[in-house]
Amino acid sequence: MTEGLFILGCIAVVGYRWPRWSLVLNLLLSLGILAYGGYGLWHGMSTIGSGALALSPLRAWFLLVLGLVASLSSWYRWGYHDDQASLRFWLPLFLLSMMTVILANNLWTFMTAWESMTISSFFLVTTHHERPDVLKSGYIYLVMSQVSAMAILAGMLVMGTHLHSVDFSVWAERGPDLSQGTKTLIFGLVGLGFGIKSGVVPFHVWLPRAHPVAPAPVSSLMSGAMIKLGIFGMLQFLLFDLGTTARWWPLLVLAVGALSSLLGVLYALMEHDLKRLLAYHSIENIGIILFGVGVMGVGIDWHHPAWVAVGLVASLFHTLNHAIFKSQLFLAAGAVEQHTGTLDVDHLGGLLRTIPGIALGFIAGSLAISGLPPFNGFVSEWLTFRGLLGLAHSTGLLGLYGLGLMMVLGLTGALAGLCFVKASGVVFLGEPRQAVSRQPLPASLTGSVLALAAISLLLGVFPQPLLHLLNGIDPAYHVNPAGMLLPARVPLIAGFLVVAVAVFAGLSRVWAVRPVARWSCGRDVDPSMQFTSASFTKAIRTTFAVIYRPHRQVQRFGSGAPDFPTRLLYRGGTVPVWEQYVYGPMYGLLWRASRLSTRIQRGPVRLYLAYLLGTVGLMLALLH
Amino acid sequence: MVWIVQGLGVAVLVAVAPFMWGIAQLVKARRQGRRGPAPWQLYWVIRKHWHKETTVPERSSWVFRLAPSVSMAALLIVVITIPIAGRVPPDWPHNMLTLFFLLALERFWSGLAGLDTGGTFGGLGASRVTTLGTGIEPALFAALGIVWQVSGNGAMAPLAAHLSTAPANLLPWLMASASVALVLLAEWGRLPVDNPDTHLELTMMHEATLLEYDGRFLALSEWAMALKFTALATFGWVVLGPHLPSLWANLGLRIIEIAATAGVLGWVESGLTKLRYFQLPAYLAVAAGLGMLGFYLAAGGLSL
Repeated sequence: MTEGLFILGCIAVVGYRWPRWSLVLNLLLSLGILAYGGYGLWHGMSTIGSGALALSPLRAWFLLVLGLVASLSSWYRWGYHDDQASLRFWLPLFLLSMMTVILANNLWTFMTAWESMTISSFFLVTTHHERPDVLKSGYIYLVMSQVSAMAILAGMLVMGTHLHSVDFSVWAERGPDLSQGTKTLIFGLVGLGFGIKSGVVPFHVWLPRAHPVAPAPVSSLMSGAMIKLGIFGMLQFLLFDLGTTARWWPLLVLAVGALSSLLGVLYALMEHDLKRLLAYHSIENIGIILFGVGVMGVGIDWHHPAWVAVGLVASLFHTLNHAIFKSQLFLAAGAVEQHTGTLDVDHLGGLLRTIPGIALGFIAGSLAISGLPPFNGFVSEWLTFRGLLGLAHSTGLLGLYGLGLMMVLGLTGALAGLCFVKASGVVFLGEPRQAVSRQPLPASLTGSVLALAAISLLLGVFPQPLLHLLNGIDPAYHVNPAGMLLPARVPLIAGFLVVAVAVFAGLSRVWAVRPVARWSCGRDVDPSMQFTSASFTKAIRTTFAVIYRPHRQVQRFGSGAPDFPTRLLYRGGTVPVWEQYVYGPMYGLLWRASRLSTRIQRGPVRLYLAYLLGTVGLMLALLH
Repeated sequence: MVWIVQGLGVAVLVAVAPFMWGIAQLVKARRQGRRGPAPWQLYWVIRKHWHKETTVPERSSWVFRLAPSVSMAALLIVVITIPIAGRVPPDWPHNMLTLFFLLALERFWSGLAGLDTGGTFGGLGASRVTTLGTGIEPALFAALGIVWQVSGNGAMAPLAAHLSTAPANLLPWLMASASVALVLLAEWGRLPVDNPDTHLELTMMHEATLLEYDGRFLALSEWAMALKFTALATFGWVVLGPHLPSLWANLGLRIIEIAATAGVLGWVESGLTKLRYFQLPAYLAVAAGLGMLGFYLAAGGLSL
């Protein structure tokens, strides 16, 4: 099966010159990955071939996530305007390397696949390298990814040296026996690496740059699948393999989750660019997934199997759900761009009338990402809250920590709701704010977005069958998620909700209405009277001024300048805190260090030979 | 038996919601020296709206038309999930976390509907209502902290049984009750947070999202607004209030409690002025702080 997928992928790479064929092959590859994931969940553990690859329920779950996003984005590409040759070449490679990352069963296979994933996604991000800032974003992404890869490699080498093996099945067997000091070192290095790759705050700066500049199908794959591989790594290597660690590691994971979710959504609120807004929401959702991961870690360290189970299931389920609704939203945003030629939300408005299908898909996705019933986000956020509630139930500071995390998650959820009321309201509802072009959209765009919406609705109403598949995902803890959702009675709530809305809609006769002019205090209605994205979030900007550091500047021109200006110039914005106060100085420091290093680089070959000799001598002296 | 009581309780709460709203309005008027409307005035208003023609702003979409139904449906389910008489039938959904999500759904959709009008007032109301929501949700989590601490599974069950055993729990319970009361005041949209009687654009919050509605849509929206008051008052009393041994007596007690809440609300409200919009975070922070303090006392102080 895997051989077949690899061959299919390679043919798809070579066949990039024939657009339709390459799309078909890509779709087949994606469906193959999806089917393979389903087979793995059904079948359990197995080693593939010589042992370089292996399948386990956890890996199968991530294959399922990858396959689902990849299939729908392949369908979407059928009518997407921006389907270039370079995209057709690199995308199958990207898919294959992500698949190999998930299946890899030894260090070398894993790192090779990991690096090839980074490189292929770099070329996908820089598809439009001719546009301003795209190359810069690409390089920032590449540098951050390399730092991440080096940290992971270092951590894994530490693990490999101590266990005298690079085979992952050996790690799973003997990992829990490592000493606490070694575990701490591994947790720090590997956690840092996977954290950077999944875009947690404070290592998030690459994400809102790299995701939006790529074409929509690529953004959806990166946000939906690639950053989840960081979560996969944390689960597999840190929680499953290491077992109990120092107690503050899971507490730190929870803190990082809280920071990422809150700051992610706060930055998203200030965005005018639809795709950047969605990219920031990926950071937020990674934070929510980390809540689940952290609860699981706390459960392992405090020997509390119920927490392990609920944390693991919450994080895995939110991983799948986020993949579904985030790719749905990214694909819808791509459709908006194809339709109007812009992504600036303050230029848009009233798109529901021209692209009703995409609008429906986007609004459904907004409900799902805000965690509202009857969509899938509700189920996994409910589970995450359920996990945190377990912490809040314990005594002392741990209980207070749990309560604080619940409050952060509640605030995050409410802010996400606000942000998506803004995004879908400003883009799709009301009146157009500026005249923009209206290109007709092909059916495959609307079809794939609506298919994703249907899946997220289905999972929101009937999550139980999928939870049954998660049975036995962690052999060490015998997780049984089937009864976890019983108190929520999701199908009942969702069913009630749909029926009640339908009944009330019928009673209030939604079809028998007469359109009249809207009230605007007796004046003529003008589209500029509507709230924009900036005015909608004004109060948030003021309340969280500590984080945003908003600034504004008003200049008055004209003969009676200060009091009776003829023209006003208004500038406003927020300070990019991380870039300005952390990454800027760090970059300056690096730059100065590299300038310093030029002093020992004078050019003559003899000098470099002397350096080489000296280094070898030093190493010999140190190692013997 | 439990089935009948719960079913009857839901029906009664939905039916009396406008009356409870009327009590608050009447007491408010009396304290201000006015004669005030009869407590059943809201029924007549709703009937009047129900028989009028329904108009919508031109070029608004299905989002706007569905909003009153979504509000009403979400609040109806909130009522259904509350164990009104202290107990629910077996396998009944009665989880507090679900309640948060349903309230968020209602807020989300009324925000969308506000933006769908394409006018200034709708957007204004949408912005203010959703922004207020970002303060209410974490504050409500904190206010219910003692509940998480004591019950541990988020089931909406009477807390009184847990609390009455230890007098040391009295102080945390008082703090939690005060905190819940402050947060619910904000969620109901009453003074000092929002004023349901105003139509001035500087002060409107929830009213601004309703401004473009009339006919049956307005009737549903007003009923939903009253139902929100009744439902959340019931919720607060069920979780934190006293309980009687008999189911039927409990049901009667609930009605008296809600009416008393409405009366007190009307009385207190007349002595308050509306807070500035930008001071609301401080108000909600006080509520959340009280809840966290109560939680901390209940959780037994410093120990890991």
